[in-house]
Amino acid sequence: MHHTKVELLSDLLRELEADVGTSDLCELVLYSLKEAVRSLKVKNNDEFREQFKKLALDMSQTKPKFGILNYYLHLLMYECLHIKHESHDCKKSIIQKIDAIAHQTHKNRDLILDFGERIDIENKTILIHDHSHTVHNLLKKYRTRKHHFKIIVAEQDYQKTHQNIEVLHDAKIPFQVVPDYMLSHIHNSVDMVFFGALTLKDTMDFVMDPGAYGIVSQFHTMNIPVYLFIDTTKFSLWKSEKKHEIFFHRQKRIHHTKAIEYERLKYSHDRVPAKLFYRIVTNEGIFSPEETEKLFQKKLKAYEKSGLCDCCN
Amino acid sequence: MTLLALGIFLVAFVLIAFEPYEKSIIALLGALLMVLFGILSPEEAIAAIKFETILLLLGMMMLVHMASKSGILAWLNVRIATLTRGNPLAIFLLFSLITALFSAFLDNVTTVILIVPLTIELLKGMGKDPKIYIFSEIILSNIGGALTLIGDPPNIIIGGATGFSFLDFVQALWIPILGVIFFTLTVFLLTNRKKFESISNNLTNLHIAHILIEKIKHKFIKTNLEKDFIVKVLTVLFLTILGFFLQEVIHIPAFISAFCGAVSLAIICAKHIDIHDSFSSVEWATLFFFAGLFIMVAGVEKTGILESLSQWVVGSTRNIFYLALLVLWISGFVSMILDNIPFVTVMIPVIFSIQTELAGTNIAILWWALSLGACLGGNGTLIGASANVVSVNLARKQGISISFWEYTKFSFPITIGMLVICSVYLYFYVS
Repeated sequence: MHHTKVELLSDLLRELEADVGTSDLCELVLYSLKEAVRSLKVKNNDEFREQFKKLALDMSQTKPKFGILNYYLHLLMYECLHIKHESHDCKKSIIQKIDAIAHQTHKNRDLILDFGERIDIENKTILIHDHSHTVHNLLKKYRTRKHHFKIIVAEQDYQKTHQNIEVLHDAKIPFQVVPDYMLSHIHNSVDMVFFGALTLKDTMDFVMDPGAYGIVSQFHTMNIPVYLFIDTTKFSLWKSEKKHEIFFHRQKRIHHTKAIEYERLKYSHDRVPAKLFYRIVTNEGIFSPEETEKLFQKKLKAYEKSGLCDCCN
Repeated sequence: MTLLALGIFLVAFVLIAFEPYEKSIIALLGALLMVLFGILSPEEAIAAIKFETILLLLGMMMLVHMASKSGILAWLNVRIATLTRGNPLAIFLLFSLITALFSAFLDNVTTVILIVPLTIELLKGMGKDPKIYIFSEIILSNIGGALTLIGDPPNIIIGGATGFSFLDFVQALWIPILGVIFFTLTVFLLTNRKKFESISNNLTNLHIAHILIEKIKHKFIKTNLEKDFIVKVLTVLFLTILGFFLQEVIHIPAFISAFCGAVSLAIICAKHIDIHDSFSSVEWATLFFFAGLFIMVAGVEKTGILESLSQWVVGSTRNIFYLALLVLWISGFVSMILDNIPFVTVMIPVIFSIQTELAGTNIAILWWALSLGACLGGNGTLIGASANVVSVNLARKQGISISFWEYTKFSFPITIGMLVICSVYLYFYVS
């Protein structure tokens, strides 16, 4: 029962990310932060800064680290530190900044969808696997634009597959479901593959839903274009400490008919090399893996130079 | 024959207490033996079943199931979680009070199933120990249930036997119920002050609490709420409860009001509700348990033992206040360790016999003493009421283990305090 704040936050964010995806998680965390700042009782701006610094520090230590959340918290911390006049209410400024960030997040989402619309999907069959809300929104947009296309859902975790099915059903998008270990039988009927991602690491690996690596590799080998949709604010703009740090749960399971107990390992994410993707669709444009790496490096340098990453130290 | 009837009943009573088999089967077996051994004729056995009670339970079970399908109850709980803004004191007070309110109109078990998981999710996520909150919700669910005719099975049985209306229960019991709610919450607050300290001066805690509230919104409101379904559900619930309150004015018994609600909701919400699903949700085992008990008690009653018992009670004192105290405390202690339903079923003919013995005296106070003792006594131990057992199981599923003594050392003194408050109330009631 005695968890540290970082452990509590890590568990909470990890569970939520698995449930709602990174984009919605980000929106939810920002909204919660706004409500928390509103409810906070502090005597002065210094006390507020101190509290905010502690929060940013805790958030920066979660496992896994959420790039987009860290980035936003650094932006907010920067704002916090640069309010010079004591008469200026720090809380009010931060709430305004959160609103601005949330607005920008929505704008970025729309931009990804706009770039996504440039992909020719007419009469094509698209394979989806994860429950990326960006991919869902794009498919819905295609549908409202009266495009004709079909979806194949690669079946994975019960809940995630059912989320995909619900979205497609509600949007009246024709779909079929194929177990993800049987995809080799439908290579010929798939024209393209769509994925979302949690973040892009400096190692040029995308952190994605478990199972993604296998599917991406498979379709990459078959020269079927695999598209990845990601907001560039999700990039993890720091040096990775451990390249292969992946979390997993040890579960005890019992055979369904016999009294055999066994250990089941369930991994939280896959790390998929960027080079396996045909194109990476972002809010800043559509990029090849090489161009994405350049964009990442440029952003990393700019971020380091801005001093944003040091403002919590 | 007398010994045989008593033997069947006592063996059944012990088996019901220890539950080596499902208790409904034990009650039905006991009822069957009463008929097979000729203690009751088949016609007498059928006549002994109080169908008003069974039908009231059936109607309410269906109504609550159909209403919960709309998602309105989960939505209401989540709204309350949002209102607390993560403040531990607000979580404690609002969830405890809503538990009492819900259980006055819903079955206590349904209430804790709706509220306890949400409380655990919220507090565990905040890194707090939710036990004290669970204890409070258990106790408040039993207290709230004691307020109304439909809140707790002992009251349904008493109402069915005496003809007391919904309003009679509320009018007679609201003062002691408010008193014990105030007493219980005060004891909890005074003994756990540190656990309810505000988090409003800690941004990280506040942020975690608000993220949790958002998570709960997502987790507990999975289905999209449909406005027309909710409006229909709320309208029918309102009219049904109004029917209960106006029972004496409109001359419609509570079980008919409950059935009107269930049937009309099934018709006007036919596209949202699978009626087969609603029928399946009825706890048939509970209904058969009641039917079996009614028959067994009728068998014992026929032998004249219960009349002798009441003569003995009246012989010991004819003071109505002392008799009420006797009923309150005995039913309170019995309910702490045994199922209060068979006990109340046995007490019904005993109190009727006392009424005959004390012809001319208003004995309504004895019924209220029985209701308060049986409903509130269930708080005394972990096995005292179904809501207690269900809550502990819900907690265990979420990794929180609550032992018998852990709960009892907290709840027993509070229950004694509650019975003292009720005793004081009974004194003023008689005066």
